[in-house]
Order: sequence, then structure tokens, then C-alpha cells
Amino acid sequence: MNSLKLPYLATAALSGALFGAGMYVSQMVDAQKVLRFLDITAMASGGWDPSLAFVIVPAILIMFAAVQFSRRRQQAPLFDKTFHEPEYDSIDRRLVAGAALFGIGWGMAGICPGPAISLIAFWPDELWIFLVTMLIGSYAGSLLVPSGHAMRLVDAK
Amino acid sequence: MESFTPLTAAIGGSLIGLATAVLWLGNGRIAGISGIFGQLLPPAQTVLWRLVFLVAMVVSAFVVARLLPGIGMGGEVPATLVGAPPAWGVPTPVWLAIAGLLTGIGTKIGNGCTSGHGVCGLARLSRRSLVAVLVFFGVAMLTVAVTGVV
Repeated sequence: MNSLKLPYLATAALSGALFGAGMYVSQMVDAQKVLRFLDITAMASGGWDPSLAFVIVPAILIMFAAVQFSRRRQQAPLFDKTFHEPEYDSIDRRLVAGAALFGIGWGMAGICPGPAISLIAFWPDELWIFLVTMLIGSYAGSLLVPSGHAMRLVDAK
Repeated sequence: MESFTPLTAAIGGSLIGLATAVLWLGNGRIAGISGIFGQLLPPAQTVLWRLVFLVAMVVSAFVVARLLPGIGMGGEVPATLVGAPPAWGVPTPVWLAIAGLLTGIGTKIGNGCTSGHGVCGLARLSRRSLVAVLVFFGVAMLTVAVTGVV
């Protein structure tokens, strides 16, 4: 299995390390700061913090360049046989309902999954509550809807 | 706007973009954290690389915060989560538990979070991801406005 070979795992480690550094440097780990971006009601009073836009735009641009490169130049990724491009393409109620539920959670706590897990490095009080309930929620979701690539494709037909 | 930090935001965002690019070009995988995290549970086929990714992410955040402590929370500023808004009369642990459950179930059903849909999906020009991003950003902004959590 490719995913058990050293170059594949080293790539995962490098990617994870870059991601974790980005979580801290961008201060996405600061829930209050993220909420000050989401608080558009503060725009009028000058209390709005647009920083998060400066995080996501360069991230998207760099990934966009990588995706364009792979589509033009690569038959396969360096360490696996195929690109795992999501094949499920329809915009359905699950997508919208899931995104809406996630939006409520994100707006309540100010941390999405990347920052929540990265915060293990700094272990703030009560982080464990969010992590445990996020895991329970994820498992509950996988029981509610078909999960996993193959199952989703079967379900889509 | 005293908290506006465009430079570190852009550097951090670039690191996140590089992280997603490395995983895509190297392993052909989408660096979506909710997916990497959520598939640690059954049915799990490829758990090892997910664990490696997540451990490297946490260790790196720890190390970089010590090398560059001046950036903010996790460095010189002790890390804290937000508390429940007092007006709601809900204890903070309950508030966080509800937020965690909604985040877990929502990202599972909707197949992604800020990284998978927000960074990778938009970069792939995915229609699904565009819809997801508009919905979760919109709902999160609405939630902040309604709860008064800031």
C-alpha cells in the first residue's frame, strides 16, 4: 500500500507541519480573533477584524496554482497512483445542511477543526470538551449518512 | 481595528496554502482537517498517514510558537477559548460541547470544513465547495450576530 511507504508518510508529516505553523502564525488558533472577523456587525463601529481574509486568500491562490500544475503536468501525484479528486459533484441538502450546522458551531466557538486540533499544542482550559464532542459529532454524522468515498458514490447512483 | 494583523495573516495563510499544495502534489490528497480527523474513526482504511499529519501539525504549532513567541496566542499570550455569552445563561462547557457536536456532525454531513472546502475546494473551482463556503461563512456570521459572543 502506497500510503504506508516512507515518502508518502514524510509528505504527510511535512504538510501537517506547514499547516500547524500556519495555524499559529495566522492566529487562527485565537478564537476571539476569528470571531472578530465573523462579527460583521462591528464593521460600522470600526471593530471588525478583516485578518482572516488575508489568511484564506493566499492559501487559496497557492493551492490553485498547485492544482493547475497537477492538471497540466502530472499524470499522478509523486507518491501515489491517482489524485483523490472528490467525484461526488451534486449540490444536495446534505451539503447545505452540514455546512449550516458547522457554521453555527464555528460562530459559537470561533474554532474550526484545524485550529481546534492545533490548539492541543497550547492546551487551553476546556479544549478537550470541544475535541471530544467534535469526534462524537463526526461519528454520529457517519452513522446518519453514508460515509466514505465508495459508499457515497454508491449512494449517489 | 487594533487587532488587524495583515502581515502575519498572509504569511500564515501562505503556509497553509503550501501545506495543502504539498499534500496534493505529493500524495494526491485534499488537506481537509475535518476529513483527516473524522476518518480516524471507523470505517478507517488509511489511519497512519492521517495520524502522522495531525501529530506533525500539533508539534509544529508548539515549536513555532516557541521560536516566534511574539506573534500572539500560544506564544506570549496564553491560549484561551471563548466563553459562553453571559446573556444566554449557558455554562461555557455546555456551550463548547454544543459547538463541538455541531462542528463534528456538520463537517461530516457536509464533507468538509474551512480547509477542505474553503481552501482546497475553492482552489479546485468546486461548485459544491463554493456553496458550502457561502453557507458556513454566512451562517457563522449570522450566529455571531445573534449570540453576541464577541
